[in-house]
Amino acid sequence: MSDIYVVLSVNLLIWFSLFGYLFALDRKVQKLKKMLEND
Amino acid sequence: MLRNIWKFLLLIWMGVVIWGAFTYTPTAKALGETTRILYFHVPCSWVATLSFLIAAISGILYLVKNDLKYDLWAENAAHLGLFFTVLATITGSIWAKVIWHPFWNWDPRETSIFILLLIYAAYFALRSAVEEDEQKARLSAVYVILAFITVPFLVFIVPRIYDSLHPDPVINAQGKIKMNGKMLQVFFASMAGFTVIFFWMLRLKVQTALLERKLQMRKFKKLTENRDV
Repeated sequence: MSDIYVVLSVNLLIWFSLFGYLFALDRKVQKLKKMLEND
Repeated sequence: MLRNIWKFLLLIWMGVVIWGAFTYTPTAKALGETTRILYFHVPCSWVATLSFLIAAISGILYLVKNDLKYDLWAENAAHLGLFFTVLATITGSIWAKVIWHPFWNWDPRETSIFILLLIYAAYFALRSAVEEDEQKARLSAVYVILAFITVPFLVFIVPRIYDSLHPDPVINAQGKIKMNGKMLQVFFASMAGFTVIFFWMLRLKVQTALLERKLQMRKFKKLTENRDV
């Protein structure tokens, strides 16, 4: 495999992990806020 | 809208870092194109160290102020530290596969990061083993402070003492920086971007934990009210 593809896959791994995690956390905060409002 | 402007700025900032890493910076002779992994792999390690430091400071604050809020900060910072350590380990072993061939070489830095992973995994094992909140917070605070004492040795001292497959650290044993100017610019820009992303994640994680606690308290209050009626 060409080296540049290795660099690209490392980048994809990092950005998908970071933004996936951030997105999941943000969704969870919104959901909890709604639950507290409706409670 | 204005409150969220920093998120857009961060997105642009990281976009520029990625562009810079791929097109603006030169590559090191021995590493070829894989040099570019440096701008993402090292910031992950840096952020992991930073989160372990924040966990230790929160542990100290908990012991001083006896406020469970600090236990939440310590737990979430350690959790993120573990997450970034795993990310640094995976990206590092992919890099190792290309440059040194095996994924894992038991190089001093690899060994240190492995020990660090075990130390902080044990922190979560300890937390899950204690039921009572106050006791859990007190024991975990002491553990997370003791765990951080090993971090400077494992991250900064051991890799500088023993011969390593890794190149010289960015700031070497003589305290000097040996890196091309363009590489340094992108490297520090990436470190700054990762640091902001980390604080964003930490804030969200603590906010989640606080909201969950609030919800649990309300449920408990409702249950006791119903029982009294």
